[in-house]
Amino acid sequence: MKRDPNATLIKVRSLTKHFPVRLGAYGQHKATVYALDDVSFNIFRGETLGLVGESGCGKTTVGLSILQLHRPSRGEVWYEEIDLTKLKEADLRPLRQKLQIVFQDPYSTLNPRMTVGAAIAEPMSVHRRCEKQQIQERVERLMDDTGLPMRYGNRYPHEFSGGQRQRICIARALACDPEFIVCDEPVSALDVSIQAQISNLLKDLQEKYNLTYLFIAHDLAVVKYISSRIAVMYLGKLAELAPRDMLFEHPLHPYTQALLSAVPVPNPKEERSRQQALLEGDVPSSISPPKGCRFHPRCPLAFEPCSDAVPDWREVDNNHWIACHAVK
Amino acid sequence: MKLLLDVMDLKIRFRVRKGHIYAVNGVSFQVHKEETLGIVGESGCGKSVTMLSLLDLLPHSAEIESGTILFKGNDLRKLKSRELQKIRGAEIGMIFQDPMTSLNPVLNIGTQISEPLIYHKGMSKKDAFVRSGELMEMVRIPDGKSRIEDYPYQLSGGMRQRVLIAMAIACNPDLIIADEPTTALDVTIQSQIIALVKDLKKKLGTSIIWITHDLGVIAGLADRVAVIYAGYIVEQAKVDDIYDNPRHPYTLGLIKAVPSVKDSGDRRLETIGGVPPDLTIRPDYCPFLPRCSYAFDRCRLENPPLSKTLENVETEHYFACWFDVRKGKPR
Amino acid sequence: MSSSPQAFNEVLPEGLEGHEPTSLWRDAFDRLKANKLAVFGFIIVVVLLLVAILGPFITPYDFLSQDLSQRNQSSSAAHLLGTDDLGRDVLSRVIYGARTATIVAFSVTAVSLLIGVSLGAIAGYSGGRVDSAIVWIIDLTMSIPILLLAVVINVSLKTPVTYWMDDMYLKTHNPIYRETIWVDFALVFGALALIMWPPYARLIRGQILSIRNENYVLAARALGFSNRRILFRHILPNGLGPVIVLASAGLGQAMILESAFSFLGIGVRPPIPSWGNMISDGLRVWRNYPHLLAAPAVVLGIITVAFSFLGDGLNDALNPKGWR
Repeated sequence: MKRDPNATLIKVRSLTKHFPVRLGAYGQHKATVYALDDVSFNIFRGETLGLVGESGCGKTTVGLSILQLHRPSRGEVWYEEIDLTKLKEADLRPLRQKLQIVFQDPYSTLNPRMTVGAAIAEPMSVHRRCEKQQIQERVERLMDDTGLPMRYGNRYPHEFSGGQRQRICIARALACDPEFIVCDEPVSALDVSIQAQISNLLKDLQEKYNLTYLFIAHDLAVVKYISSRIAVMYLGKLAELAPRDMLFEHPLHPYTQALLSAVPVPNPKEERSRQQALLEGDVPSSISPPKGCRFHPRCPLAFEPCSDAVPDWREVDNNHWIACHAVK
Repeated sequence: MKLLLDVMDLKIRFRVRKGHIYAVNGVSFQVHKEETLGIVGESGCGKSVTMLSLLDLLPHSAEIESGTILFKGNDLRKLKSRELQKIRGAEIGMIFQDPMTSLNPVLNIGTQISEPLIYHKGMSKKDAFVRSGELMEMVRIPDGKSRIEDYPYQLSGGMRQRVLIAMAIACNPDLIIADEPTTALDVTIQSQIIALVKDLKKKLGTSIIWITHDLGVIAGLADRVAVIYAGYIVEQAKVDDIYDNPRHPYTLGLIKAVPSVKDSGDRRLETIGGVPPDLTIRPDYCPFLPRCSYAFDRCRLENPPLSKTLENVETEHYFACWFDVRKGKPR
Repeated sequence: MSSSPQAFNEVLPEGLEGHEPTSLWRDAFDRLKANKLAVFGFIIVVVLLLVAILGPFITPYDFLSQDLSQRNQSSSAAHLLGTDDLGRDVLSRVIYGARTATIVAFSVTAVSLLIGVSLGAIAGYSGGRVDSAIVWIIDLTMSIPILLLAVVINVSLKTPVTYWMDDMYLKTHNPIYRETIWVDFALVFGALALIMWPPYARLIRGQILSIRNENYVLAARALGFSNRRILFRHILPNGLGPVIVLASAGLGQAMILESAFSFLGIGVRPPIPSWGNMISDGLRVWRNYPHLLAAPAVVLGIITVAFSFLGDGLNDALNPKGWR
């Protein structure tokens, strides 16, 4: 695995996103969703950074904010030497070739009235990447790369199964030779037997085209399989970030520990004998997140400072970041 | 063990514009008293349709072609709809996947849990409300008794699923059918719900049919597991046998294709090639044939029945395959 | 690593292998074809169009030529639908009525579509104040009572415009000014178009607002496509289905309204035949000569039902539930 810590491709600094919302039956109450608060991390060239968390924790917002599909409320997103947050939409467009995204739901991310071939060719013709003749050749190569038989180029998305549509989406994302791809839960809408196909495909393509991924998911097992480093999010904040094996073998943050112990393992004996560290309670709403450490109401280690002070995001070990008062 | 539910040769199809979708193709299974049967399969395999048919809750486009459904010795298919209503909710409880839409938003929770108690048990409204409060405590809703006046929107997804469980167990049913009850929930909430269900089962002695696509969830819950593919049960055995000694290529593939947090993470996932099955036909060959890497001539000619092999007669391990994946040769 | 990431025996779901690729339009057409009532409606509408276009070539008589010796005749070999009180051939007049109805309905629908779709698209895509302003205009227009408007236009505009045209003709002898009949058309049509565009605007605005949140639009943005391209390639084609349905219903509605106006004497006036003024004439003598009422009324009824069948069929074909 190529992992040169100096070769940072994406640098995220203090990324913050607050949405205004209206609540109540008539929208009479104004409120703010604190979707993302002060999130900072680097993504290295050629790596896969896994981003896990439960629904509503803001992990998708991270992906969309990096790509400026949501404009962040505050913070910076550096792609090489460019701060994307400072660019106008029109100036971002050419850069979008290099920064791509694969969405969760392959059913809805393809225009139902465009053939597969046209959908894959469209980014190339819009960005004037090459001549007409070459576009056709490239479409065929991309389809081959993603395991789509060539003869399906003139078919429409609704004729395909979920896994195949995800392949089409991946082929389209690859059309303009991207460097960085946000994979936003790319396998979670798919059937178990198809998930493995797509996970393997993403891994193979990464190797072949030297891609960098931000892999967003709620399934820890899938993330473990595909990522080199993993970040854990809770309620709009990063809780822990560490290289994969370190995170799974020595999780430091109490939330990471609870999350890991909650995942059921497909092994009856282990499941029966296992003592789960059950996490009490529900995830609070991101409209009124708890003060101090956002995890403290559910945290088994919580003590005095946790309810007042927001824990610093600090590096406790080489490449092991954490935000927790209780962990030294 | 006493037999509670005995489903035999159930076949269900749906009418669609161009013909039929054959959703369930001759499914037979049994549930005994105090047993948890796990039903594993991917979307569209017919697992939910099978369960809905037990209580006559299928949509109009569906048609039960054949089969008997014996519940405590009575054929549910022969009952009048009024008689079936007496069984639904009272003797068989159901928990659905989506806790967000399974509760009526304009009624408070106490009213919704009371409903089956008043209807089936003839309780007075007051008694039913008191009982609802107790049930809320039983499913470990914090301050359950004081929250029976809450409305569904005031509860989180995990809490709503607890309410649905409370409704399902309200009349002490003999059987609970749980259709992917934790799929829409987060893992930490899922583990709470699973622990709760295990606990309740121990207390109440209810039988459970737990439908899921997640092999991890079912591992710690079920006594027996049935694996469904394309509307056929392809393998059925005790839970340990399924995981330790899968005999059908689909089960084998499924187990290998699912990553686990306990894996090193470095192995390449083995995949089941191909695409989900075509349900517009009822094949006379093995339904898994197009995706099977063990297939040989016989698989093209005959659809293998669900059967035991000689060597494991006493283990109750059934599978529908012409090939012996353990020995690496045809049976 | 091989060029193909893994060995694939992947095929389309078996049922589709061997079928032609079907676009959603094609799929909708197949669905429409399977609907017998819709096909019936479609055939009637096509016949109507042919009759309207070919009118002058297929009418057995001139619609104006009077034969006072042949007044109020009932059906015969010479006059299939009989003659009216001036001895004019009723069949020829019904055919010319189709022409009138078609001209009015199609131009009204075309103009309302043009205004409605462009205003609606602007409102839906730009949002904010522009949206609020256009929605306000839509609401305002929809609150106008249509019949009243037609009467007001008729009373206040028709006479002055006709006089003005006569004046101009006398001065310039330009033939443009001679046919004052076009004033009738223009006014009926103007009133109708003014009333009929808002539903299109509303519909397309709603379509855009919902499609704008579709994931494929977000995907198109993520791919760096321009707003124009997203609007024209990704949003509009997917929002047209319901507009087509509404337009087909609108055609039928415009024909009925044209007839209604003409019936009330505020639309197309005799001697130009319209089903409306023919019904109005027939109504006066229906006890003695029922065919004069029946001919235009039955034709109008059939056409109305045909458009309604076609509209329902299009609706089922273009907006089926559970399109996946």
